[in-house]
Amino acid sequence: MLEIKNLCVSIEDKQILKGMNLKINDGEVHALMGPNGSGKSTLSYVLSGKEGYEIVSGSIHYNGRDLLNLDVDERANEGIFLAFQYPMEIPGVQTSFFLKTAINAKRKYQGLDEIDALEFAKLIKSKAGDLDISPEMLKRDLNVNYSGGEKKKQEILQMSLLDPSMAILDETDSGLDIDALRIVSEGVNKLRTPNNAFLVITHYQRLLNYIKPDFVHIIADGKIVKSGDFSLALELEEKGYDEISKSA
Amino acid sequence: MEINKENNHKSVEDISAKTQYIIENQNPFRNFKLENYKYAQLHKKIIPKNSVRDFKYFRDIKDLSLDLSTKSLKSVNLRSTLDNWSFYSNDSYFRVESLIERSGSLIPLDEFEQSIFSLDISKMTENITITKKKEKHQTIILLNTNVEDEVPKSILIDLSDNSNLDIIHYNISNHKSFLYFESKQGNHSKLNFITFQSNNAHTRNEYFASLGSHCHFELSGLNFDNVGVNDNYSFIQHLKPSSSSREVFKSIVDKGAITNFQGKIYVDSIAQKTDGYQMSRSLLLDDISKANNKPELEIYADDVKCSHGSTVSQINKDQIYYFNSRGINKNEAQKILQKAFLSETLENISSVELKDFSLKLLDNLIN
Repeated sequence: MLEIKNLCVSIEDKQILKGMNLKINDGEVHALMGPNGSGKSTLSYVLSGKEGYEIVSGSIHYNGRDLLNLDVDERANEGIFLAFQYPMEIPGVQTSFFLKTAINAKRKYQGLDEIDALEFAKLIKSKAGDLDISPEMLKRDLNVNYSGGEKKKQEILQMSLLDPSMAILDETDSGLDIDALRIVSEGVNKLRTPNNAFLVITHYQRLLNYIKPDFVHIIADGKIVKSGDFSLALELEEKGYDEISKSA
Repeated sequence: MEINKENNHKSVEDISAKTQYIIENQNPFRNFKLENYKYAQLHKKIIPKNSVRDFKYFRDIKDLSLDLSTKSLKSVNLRSTLDNWSFYSNDSYFRVESLIERSGSLIPLDEFEQSIFSLDISKMTENITITKKKEKHQTIILLNTNVEDEVPKSILIDLSDNSNLDIIHYNISNHKSFLYFESKQGNHSKLNFITFQSNNAHTRNEYFASLGSHCHFELSGLNFDNVGVNDNYSFIQHLKPSSSSREVFKSIVDKGAITNFQGKIYVDSIAQKTDGYQMSRSLLLDDISKANNKPELEIYADDVKCSHGSTVSQINKDQIYYFNSRGINKNEAQKILQKAFLSETLENISSVELKDFSLKLLDNLIN
């Protein structure tokens, strides 16, 4: 699915990622944990293709293709999805209109006709219902005056509608209350198939209790210092980043 | 880029005798730095780089409305009307003798049963005075398309106490178009003016509104996809207590076009409890285009609420990135964001059909 090799990335001459290696296979869920400023969000932005990040060296291959050659929208249409830590507010654009446009962009890319209005209404009703998002909310402007939790749910709704093959969740659990965390996690779990993969970026083991990862990686100072299974997350909770990084 | 240079006057010598006369004799701010952009460079021949597209969407709205111009109009003497109104010629570039000396026609709206009318002012040469005395809500569509004006169209609105009127002005695909709009509102009356400007080569529109007590005036304007210079000038006078006005102008400029907005809210010393709001916002799509926004407040009463704001900005790159990350390409994202930016000005069209039409029109013109 995704293979990152020796990736070095800098932003405005400051090196953030310093030789990152990560391989994610179909059907796997990987968790990426690490202290603030270790490069977690940078990695997520580089994967989605955000401007302003200079790839100094290394490569990212996605389903055998060189991901770095694709534009942001091409990557999205190829199945990469980034659930943002801070989703953008878009005043004047109705949420349901945005969702429909995004679905149609993907369908167009796949050579399909635009989604039928009725079919869209049914689809969105069921998906939004799963995430406990009210129909009134879909009429509001995208992310404008949404609470922190509502924004995160909106990201997961977009993810479920776009059905990505490689989803990256950037601190989706931050700002969520316990109930919302459960709903969001269930939403993610529902999407898991043997053909897609997830990279879950988080600070807390709590999210991983709901979304069980196959692998846990610890990132410090721009590279992965330790990898393991779920027990690593528990160990981390107990000992903290400092000790784990030192022992690595 | 040529258009930009053409209009980017640095020296006074470039300005015609007429403009010079106005700047020297009538410019209320002549003691301050010259603000040439307040006076459209009307003498300049602007040759649009892009050809102005033909405009065919209006068949749809003609079905909705009754054509006022098919009715015979009554002739009026405009001079006496204008002399009684409270504006002075030096407030305006257009409010000049020549305007007064033209023949005038009267449209008494109360004599019409319908609630939506259209008036094609494109070919009109006389001044139009529209009067309304009854409370019943009516809407007038002013169509101004495919014209090459030398003198401004002039529309005067006389609203009696308690009357209620919507005006939607479609100012589209003109080589040269000038509008002088003046309204006088009686107590407790409501006037809502929406101006939709696109695809013009050279436009200047002036709005003068005079408000009685407890009345409300709303002026919303959008302009985009113009070439050359687009000017909007407004002067809203609160002359009696407890009236409110709300003004929102939004513009998008690209390919070296220039948009100018100057708007003044004037509050007379007896007009206590006035509530005035003004917002002008411009989006620049490239670095050769220009937006000049100048909000002005002139307040002589001490118990009023007046606010104004003005922004000039570019499309937010992070918003584009957000669209891209959901598979929507840059071009489409920009169009959606432009529409989102402009559509606020169409929100308060009372007629649902006309609102839908205007939104569709916006959609069509941006795509």
